[in-house]
Amino acid sequence: MRDGFVPRDKFKWCTYILIVTLAVLLIRLWDLQIMKGNEMKRLSEQNRIRVKKVIAPRGIMYDRNGKVLADTRPSFNIYITPEDIRDFNQTVDGLSRLIDMDRDDIADKLKEASGFPASFPVKIKSDVTMDEVAKVEANRVYLPGVSIQIEPKRNYPYGKMFAHLLGYVSEISGEELKKKEYKNYAPGDFIGKYGLERAYEKYLKGIDGEKRVEVDAIGREVRTLDFVEPIAGHSLYLNIDADVQVIVEKALEGKKGGVVALDPKTGSVIVLVSKPAFDPNKFAAGLTKQELKAIASDKNRPFMNRVIQGRYPPGSTFKIALALKALQDGVINEKTTFNCPGGFPFGNRVFKCWKKGGHGRVSIHRAIVESCDVFFYNVGLKLGIDRIHEIGDVIGLNKATGIDLAGELAGFVPSSAWKEKNFGQKWYEGETVSVAIGQGAVWLTPIQLVQLASFVANEGITFKPQIVNRIISPEGKVVKTFEPVIASEMKLNKEVVKIVKEGMKGVVNEPSGTAYGSRIQTVHMSGKTGTAQVASLDKGKHLGDHAWFIAYAPAENPSIAITVLVEHGGHGSSASAPIAKILTENLFKPKVEIKEAHIRDKN
Amino acid sequence: MIRIDKRRMYHLDWYLIINGLLLFGIGILNLVSATSSFYTGSYTFITKQLIAFFLGAFLVILIINYDYRVIAAQSKWFYLGVLLLIVLVLLIGGITGGAKRWISIFGISFQPSEFMKPVLVLFLAHKLHERKRDNMPLGITDILIPLAVCIFPTILIVKQPDLGTAVIILLVCLSVLWFVGLKRSTYVVLGSIALAAPFVFWKYLMKPYQKMRILSFINIDADPSGFGYHAKQAMIAVGSGKFFGKGYMEGTQHKLQFIPEHHTDFIFTVFGEEWGFFGSLVLFIFFLSFIHRCLKVAQNAHDELGSIIAFGVAAIIYFQFAINVLMAIHLVPVVGIPLPLMSYGGSSLVSILASIGLLLNISTRRYMF
Repeated sequence: MRDGFVPRDKFKWCTYILIVTLAVLLIRLWDLQIMKGNEMKRLSEQNRIRVKKVIAPRGIMYDRNGKVLADTRPSFNIYITPEDIRDFNQTVDGLSRLIDMDRDDIADKLKEASGFPASFPVKIKSDVTMDEVAKVEANRVYLPGVSIQIEPKRNYPYGKMFAHLLGYVSEISGEELKKKEYKNYAPGDFIGKYGLERAYEKYLKGIDGEKRVEVDAIGREVRTLDFVEPIAGHSLYLNIDADVQVIVEKALEGKKGGVVALDPKTGSVIVLVSKPAFDPNKFAAGLTKQELKAIASDKNRPFMNRVIQGRYPPGSTFKIALALKALQDGVINEKTTFNCPGGFPFGNRVFKCWKKGGHGRVSIHRAIVESCDVFFYNVGLKLGIDRIHEIGDVIGLNKATGIDLAGELAGFVPSSAWKEKNFGQKWYEGETVSVAIGQGAVWLTPIQLVQLASFVANEGITFKPQIVNRIISPEGKVVKTFEPVIASEMKLNKEVVKIVKEGMKGVVNEPSGTAYGSRIQTVHMSGKTGTAQVASLDKGKHLGDHAWFIAYAPAENPSIAITVLVEHGGHGSSASAPIAKILTENLFKPKVEIKEAHIRDKN
Repeated sequence: MIRIDKRRMYHLDWYLIINGLLLFGIGILNLVSATSSFYTGSYTFITKQLIAFFLGAFLVILIINYDYRVIAAQSKWFYLGVLLLIVLVLLIGGITGGAKRWISIFGISFQPSEFMKPVLVLFLAHKLHERKRDNMPLGITDILIPLAVCIFPTILIVKQPDLGTAVIILLVCLSVLWFVGLKRSTYVVLGSIALAAPFVFWKYLMKPYQKMRILSFINIDADPSGFGYHAKQAMIAVGSGKFFGKGYMEGTQHKLQFIPEHHTDFIFTVFGEEWGFFGSLVLFIFFLSFIHRCLKVAQNAHDELGSIIAFGVAAIIYFQFAINVLMAIHLVPVVGIPLPLMSYGGSSLVSILASIGLLLNISTRRYMF
């Protein structure tokens, strides 16, 4: 500088400032990169690496012929990772508009998972449509934290059919998460909540895999760093015959009731139908609270599995139990007769026979074939309530049968001790008269009555009803097979069995039999009709009686025992026996061979 | 038209040129990494940046060709021209991110506010130089017009809003005034105005989002979704580089888009993440030696006018460098200021190159009489 108009010390100051600047920058960088370097590195890793669960496909359920009853299919599910949310309202409101879901429902889901790490993706909606997937994908940039995962979803190809048998899966609830048995589960997991799905949850579930992925700032997956394959759940092979069940489902369509059929020699359940039913596919997709409420409060109670949870007076089918006991104990014999004038005066009232004109003088055979009430009033009184209770106990009617489904209810056959204990009153014989024809304080489920039919068919032995035949691992190895388990056993007199069997055969095959209309030419079916009077009124209107039919076939060497119940169906002979006929006919169609599924595996 | 004078070629400040080219080269390499993400593999950004560089280089040659005294004499027209463009921006400008900053002429869009920086330095130098005939410190009356000349465009730029450029302009103006030399009383008056200025800004000029930035600077977790989030992610990026960095093209923070504007205002985070403490140290030394060289030009200038202009340019580069890096490492609030020669952006690059052109102009004429 020639003229020296700027003092030299100004440039000196500038140099100082540059040095100070360098010092400040380096001190700060030292702090960030060296002192806090590892922490910052960890934060940047945490930013970009997400551990994602890879849902294991649930085990498949097959019928005895290998038909698929429940499998999995791919579905699109929407998740939110709380850690990736920038603006809570932007993400939640934006998503709620795109997928037609209430804002509060989304917020609730996030709140439910608040106990989990913020990097844990929370499932918001399952099985969204392709349309919704497209909308969300197009707006991902505005929805930080939202991601779409393709995951296996439970699929029931038969829809409403098999609903009570297979059950359904749905998202684990907050209360269930707190239970010990679900300690390895996380929010958003699907669990079996009903039927076999619930009973065999631990086999069906499989082991979820894990995927470490690199995500960008809005949570989009950029690449996979690490992958642990999920292990599919075990498959169940059922004893069910899907073809026959479908026919029975159709026969019972529009009615309320239940049908169960099993092999009396093993307890293998071949058909199990309850109506009305629900569509299990809807649960797998995730029901809204309103939809769930609507199903739960339905007056027809579609959630009730009538076969194992519906308790009804057994009506005349119960006469079989009395006949067995009375003959076995020698209270009556083949030749014992009672006169039926159409009514039975007892105490200060007259108990009527269903046939107004009466049956005249009847023995045990005709009494079963024509279902004479007066005959059994007499038998009942001769036996007394406690011996009726005793035979109920022996056959297993006072407890649950132990079928491999959750929620089975026990049946009930009263005793004098029960009344004494619960009401402090003595048992009146008038009550015995009612119980003798399956009315009054006796309540049984269809599955218990099928055991009564089995008891006769098998001449004094029943087996625990078993739906699942065997469990197979994903590699095809047999994990578990279910051998027949004896449920009840009684040494019955040959003569007694013969008399009762002849009677039941006559019900279907003799012209005077109550189920003669349902006889089958090719197979001899034995059975017993029942009509349980319903005392309750609906808006002043008398509801129809419950129609029962229990049966087994072939009469000579039974391989199937059946119970049909039609709620408010009227007479057992007209409402229920024809369904048993359809079932038996189809089961014994020449081409349909019933193979015991587990025999193949034994060899 | 443009004569290349051999003697002037010889007197060109090659140290400045090589240091500048080095910074630009580092900037381009860094930009390649910053703009290649997992989603786009194109070199559009790089191409545009190189076009701007050659445009700027041409401007440098053009500027060197005319004596800076001639250019300074015409600075009033440059000033009025850029001012007019800034007014036009406010009236018809294009909007990016809620701010009107750029204008499109003949299909080329640019930010006039970037050019106000060198033009204002020129105009200010010219005005102050006129006032300071007798080599006496300037009084209040002497600097009234120069101050008005600075404050008027500053207000317009704040209105765009482009707080970063406005801050740079004010700081550069004040430094130039300090450099020229003021009376003690003038310092007192200016000092009190400077103390009051933040309140005026806060109350009347700043938009809510700008206030939010200041607040989120004070408490980084107060706004985890917006500016606080960005500031935090920028710090994580730089910090996770540790001593030697993650390696070129290996930065995850910017590649996975955790840092917004990582190719413009937050470009340093890309460098810091990939090159670590060591690389940053080298980069800082390059920058500071460059600025030091700018000051040398001011010191060795032929006359006072040249000295003031060169000092002004040094101030522009220094403040942009310092504030930009301090912002990336969370020592000042987030403001939109590009890193000279390294941030992506044509207007910024051309403006900086033109400023360097002025410096070269002054340095080549240091021995003239």
